[in-house]
Amino acid sequence: MTEEDEAAFDEFLAARSTALLRTAILVCGASASDAEDMVQNALEKVYRHWPRIRHDNPEAYARRVVVNGAISKARRRKVLQEITFAQPPETPVESPDLGLRDVLVTELRKLPARMRAVLVLRYWEDMSEAETAALLGCSVGTVKSQAARGLARVRARMENLEGASA
Amino acid sequence: MNVEEALREAMAAQVAGVHASPSLGQAVRRGNRRHAVRFRVAGAVVLAGAVAVGVPVALTARPDTASNPGSLAGTGAGGQGGPAASAAASGDTVATPEVLVPDVVGKRAVEVDAILKEAGYTVKVMKMVNDDAPAGTVFAQMPQPGTAAPPGAAVTIMIATTAGPTPAPSEGAEGAGMPQDLGDLGDGRTLGGVHLGYLPERLEWGKWSGKDGFGKETYTTSWVEPGLEPGMYNVQMVVYRKDAASVLAKRMQSFAAQGAEPVEVGGRKAYLVSVSEGGDRILDGGTRTIVWTLAPGVGAEVMISPDYAAKLGTAEADKELKKIAAGAALGK
Repeated sequence: MTEEDEAAFDEFLAARSTALLRTAILVCGASASDAEDMVQNALEKVYRHWPRIRHDNPEAYARRVVVNGAISKARRRKVLQEITFAQPPETPVESPDLGLRDVLVTELRKLPARMRAVLVLRYWEDMSEAETAALLGCSVGTVKSQAARGLARVRARMENLEGASA
Repeated sequence: MNVEEALREAMAAQVAGVHASPSLGQAVRRGNRRHAVRFRVAGAVVLAGAVAVGVPVALTARPDTASNPGSLAGTGAGGQGGPAASAAASGDTVATPEVLVPDVVGKRAVEVDAILKEAGYTVKVMKMVNDDAPAGTVFAQMPQPGTAAPPGAAVTIMIATTAGPTPAPSEGAEGAGMPQDLGDLGDGRTLGGVHLGYLPERLEWGKWSGKDGFGKETYTTSWVEPGLEPGMYNVQMVVYRKDAASVLAKRMQSFAAQGAEPVEVGGRKAYLVSVSEGGDRILDGGTRTIVWTLAPGVGAEVMISPDYAAKLGTAEADKELKKIAAGAALGK
């Protein structure tokens, strides 16, 4: 790895690591510290292959590693997660919609890992269905159906809440 | 507000306050060396990586500091833990969703095994050369005392041992069930009943060993170049016996299924592969590892740290792994 490679990697980290961390937290449904470990692992892979991938969309590569890592981690750590989830999510207090956000985030966390990943990629990362499918290694049809089912569950919860407060 | 928007906002709010640590780059480069000794649970519910016991962390947990969380029990933090922990310790088998890990630091290993089992935990054992704590006593534990952990969770205890020759088994200092059977403390080359006839030049025993970290009846230790940081390895071996050996055999089958070609060492079939952190997947850039079966019910895995492999060169590292495997034999 040349010095230039190293410098480029630092730039990449400065630009992208926070976004990757946020995606990891959302996909994994984990605490920030768990997600940090995961992102670090993913970035180690990126670093290992850096000279080869730095000119070839390293961000997409990193995101794929993070998301797939987060999915498998979410599955493996289901039990531990439930313990983590017992803690109230950290959300800013000034928000008037705190209740709704809380409910949505909680609902999101209850979804199966892959379905949650689809929602995060589609609506947080603003990726297209095709991009999401490519990243997750599944068909566009799967992305569509997973997104629809995930949204339906979140929507049901939301309507339920609105109905109750009305 | 439609659901997509609401969800997007909720997600944004959820992570708004999160920022990557500025030291991440450093951590990535350090972690990339990935030569920390591995000691983890392998099995159906693998928490690969997540469970890797940080040996350096353990080493810094001296008896005085490690017992701190225990003394916190008097404050609010551990307050409600007292009754739960004592209920578990008294053998109350009523299902408790979660109990607090008792403080066993400073106790003798023999007692600790019973205490933890009675509290419903499974016990994993590491022995480490440590001159600051009396031999045979627990000098650190993971998770820390007072941590909530569900029954059945694994608690790793670190037992202090001395670097000298193995005390005669007749002393029975550590009692039945404790890892006297590690058999590793003599010349540092026999572990779990497997003796290594060959080790790369300059490597010396890493002064620790672990039991059951990779499943029941597994044994592990490492060898290092003199002066390597504590907790790091050059070569690590894991011996799998009985059921653990069949789990390992399945892993070898999965290597074959993933397209690995077997190699022959000492007349036995072995797989020499680069594997992921969990040890189950073949991964480009993973840790070079050789896996083979020594005898029915006895399997072994030897890995070479990526740093050491880079230093030796890939071809040489593979050659060393094969030589180590070929030189391994069942102990007398």
